[in-house]
Amino acid sequence: MREKMSHIHITLSNVTFGYEKNQKILKDITLSFGENERVGIIGANGAGKSTLLKLLVGLYTDFEGSIRVEEIPVEKKMLSRIREKIGYVFQDSDSQLFMSTVYDDVAFAPRNYGFSEEEVERRVNEALEAVHISYLRDRHTYKLSGGEKKLASIATILSMTPDIILMDEPSVALDPKNRRNLIQILNGFGHLKIIASHDLDFIMDTCSRVILINHGRVIKDGPAGEILTDKELLESNGLELPLRFTGRESLFSS
Amino acid sequence: MNKLENAVYEMNLLEEQAGGCGRLNSLPALFKVIITVWYILLTVSFHKYDIFGLLGMGIYPLVLFLIYEIPFRQCIKRIKIILPFLLLAGIANPLLDKNILGSLGNRQVSGGVVSMATLMLKGLFTVLAGYLLIVSTSIEKICGALRKFHMPSILVTMILLIYRYISLLLKETNRVMQAYALRAPGQKGVGFKAWGSLAGLLLLRSMDRAENVYESMCLRGFDGSRGNSFQYTAEQKAKPADYIWLLLWGTGLFSLRIVPLLTIVGSLLVKG
Ligand SMILES: Nc1ncnc2c1ncn2[C@@H]1O[C@H](COP(=O)(O)OP(=O)(O)O)[C@@H](O)[C@H]1O
Ligand SMILES: [Mg+2]
Repeated sequence: MREKMSHIHITLSNVTFGYEKNQKILKDITLSFGENERVGIIGANGAGKSTLLKLLVGLYTDFEGSIRVEEIPVEKKMLSRIREKIGYVFQDSDSQLFMSTVYDDVAFAPRNYGFSEEEVERRVNEALEAVHISYLRDRHTYKLSGGEKKLASIATILSMTPDIILMDEPSVALDPKNRRNLIQILNGFGHLKIIASHDLDFIMDTCSRVILINHGRVIKDGPAGEILTDKELLESNGLELPLRFTGRESLFSS
Repeated sequence: MNKLENAVYEMNLLEEQAGGCGRLNSLPALFKVIITVWYILLTVSFHKYDIFGLLGMGIYPLVLFLIYEIPFRQCIKRIKIILPFLLLAGIANPLLDKNILGSLGNRQVSGGVVSMATLMLKGLFTVLAGYLLIVSTSIEKICGALRKFHMPSILVTMILLIYRYISLLLKETNRVMQAYALRAPGQKGVGFKAWGSLAGLLLLRSMDRAENVYESMCLRGFDGSRGNSFQYTAEQKAKPADYIWLLLWGTGLFSLRIVPLLTIVGSLLVKG
């Protein structure tokens, strides 16, 4: 499977990072992500999942080791080019939606990148269409429901047509219906997706590869079906089996 | 609803009205800002005894409220916190200035009373004009207009962000207070022992939120230092009718300033 990844989109080599001196939140992480991969990053609270995602978009650049996004090193000078290629969806949609209307919010990035207003409009419409919320176009962001906010946040990054989508805990605060809807939409995208979550059922439904981290280290990297059914591995790292496997894991043990 | 929720609600409502599609909303923000500033300058420039001239300036808010059907009651409700300050502004004038200017019926009117009244009216008109602008123009559009006036982009961005920060802070405060109230039943307000830690918590939380918002702006190509290319909202194309609106109010207000309309009308009535 690995040989087929002709395009390596992201590589991390020996990345170590801490928010403060002498503190190491991520320790010696080496990973690579290829085109169209669907990767879940799992780990207990505080494991360093969000931190890892934030490093990929260059929100913190004072890490040791190196990170490359499509051959571009993640450095201060390159951030604008990198962020054109990567879309990052925040855990808290309210952080992402800060303009008054959905339209203006989705238009924020393309306008910053200097596209003409016609092009901006085309991109906004396309982005909204992709997550099936064209009808929310002129709505005020504070009035959206949790599920609508999540979809609108996704649209705000799609308007830059990124190659890579990062999502931090996308399923938090979604009811079952919105959750199913989100899974369907995500599975329709052809991008390289990296989803950080401790909601293993959600990961099961959206990812084919899983990376388990604990205390800032990669514990295991492999196919979702393998890792997500390994009760012992999960429990020794502060996680629990996906709900659907509890009590009937024997079905999958073969 | 408690006071905080009410404040959040009012802000949201205001924003919704500002972003609505009324006829006043669809005028280019730039023109509205120009006329508002022009109006305020002219209003403030009246002589302190020229109360009749000043009264004529009331036509502008009056006409706007009427033809654009902007709810007047709601306006009063919203600006009522400021009104006492307007009243206080000239309150000492009657004591300081006892010149007799004329008489009203059988009572003598001193210069102080007149100048107090003009001061209050100036304040009121200014507030009304500002209100009319805010209620019909979204903050992004106002910022866009300010940029057209070549206000430095960093200042305009600050205005926009402070505006966002206020509602963020309000919401965060509301959350914290609710959590507090749920665990301190039957208590009115916050016990003063908890004040310090609550305020600290609030500051930290809202700063966290603000930082997240800022990060999400940066991730989408925002760059404060590159400022001049930052666009807040779609350009509004001015229609010929909009230019007429600008021209009419521009000259109309100026004539109100130099022609004492009320005095003329008054003297015609007295003669007739
Ligand atoms: N801005 C920050 N400053 C300092 N420490 C932080 C910051 N953000 C997260 N941390 C710390 O980093 C560790 C990993 O956090 P995080 O990456 O958010 O974990 P996860 O997303 O897996 O729950 C935690 O111990 C957390 O306290
Ligand atoms: Mg996290």
